[in-house]
Amino acid sequence: MSADTTIEEAVRDLLRSRAPLAQGLSDLPGDLRVGAGGLGLDSIAMVELLLDCEQRFGIKATELLEGAPLTVGRLAAHVREAVR
Amino acid sequence: MPPSRWAASPPTCAKPSGDRRVIGARKTFDALERGLALLATRRPGLALSGADALGRLRNRLSRRWPSPEQVHLLFPHLDRRATARVAWSLGALEARNRLLISCIGRAGLDPVRPLVRTSQDAFAALRPPLVLGTFHVGAVQALGAVVERLPGPVLILRQGLLHTPRPPVEIVSTDGDDQSRAASFQRALAHLAGGGFVVLALDVVQGAGFQVPCLGRTLALARGPFALARLAGTPLVPLVARWRRGGVEAEAGEELAVDPTLDPADREAALAVSAGRWLERYLLDSPSELSLGLLRILLANASAPPSISSRRNS
Repeated sequence: MSADTTIEEAVRDLLRSRAPLAQGLSDLPGDLRVGAGGLGLDSIAMVELLLDCEQRFGIKATELLEGAPLTVGRLAAHVREAVR
Repeated sequence: MPPSRWAASPPTCAKPSGDRRVIGARKTFDALERGLALLATRRPGLALSGADALGRLRNRLSRRWPSPEQVHLLFPHLDRRATARVAWSLGALEARNRLLISCIGRAGLDPVRPLVRTSQDAFAALRPPLVLGTFHVGAVQALGAVVERLPGPVLILRQGLLHTPRPPVEIVSTDGDDQSRAASFQRALAHLAGGGFVVLALDVVQGAGFQVPCLGRTLALARGPFALARLAGTPLVPLVARWRRGGVEAEAGEELAVDPTLDPADREAALAVSAGRWLERYLLDSPSELSLGLLRILLANASAPPSISSRRNS
């Protein structure tokens, strides 16, 4: 298993721990939104998720709240790039 | 409740009536309020005193917005005369606040600043980082000018922008979707981490919230302020402003305290209940500070059973 795959799995595990809707899903598609219309995280849960990422991977992640909708793929890609 | 002979009402809650005298009275009051709004940017103190008298008279004549009966439902311990006086005072408070909003919309906080009587010394005990939670009571719209006197940088989180703030006060809008609100929330966390004050309303619920008991009813409080205090590891202190002797005075409450051994989710809920209790104590002590909006919300909500602690909505 590559390092990238491991990171992506770790991000998906974090998502499952924060989003009850994600817990029963074996696959979390990259285009799935983290907030409304996707995993349904509210504003506070979104911040907590990103703080979890920062703590887990030692990176800055809260900047992802700016701009495009936060998706599983966007979050995973950001973490992958940041830890390189 | 006897039929209202004078159905004069503020513009925001006017109901059509066929009675010519009622319509005439309403138009007269509305015209007087518009006149006071013009005066307010040059002579705010005088205009606000006029609005107070007008609102009081309007309430006495109409026995509405609020009616003494509505006041009695929330403050059943008050006798008939005291209840009527509170209703008149609430009518005056609404008229003052309508004028204040109009004044701030026209001229920003400049006319309001000289009215603030709270000195920096009064806030000396407040040390940042600190979350200050407000309620829609008293001179709530004047809080923008009050927080300029806090000893440190201030970030206000609120719906919409009523005025352009003056540094070191910044305003972040909480309008928008969950992600926009998350960005505002994150900015507030960063502000607290940098040693600032964050000011936000406890009784405006845009996302998840708690139902807490207050004055025998239930009141919805936003989860955000309590989560913010928990995540930042900072205290949460209630902050209110009230009209006194033609000016605005602020009062910061004691830090809301809960059992530190509670798990995070329970701690937030317990903080919310503590905030509801603080508001209840404040209003029992000063019933004339209750805003009409909050009165309506409380009356529309179910009575709180004695055992209620909190219920989380999402």
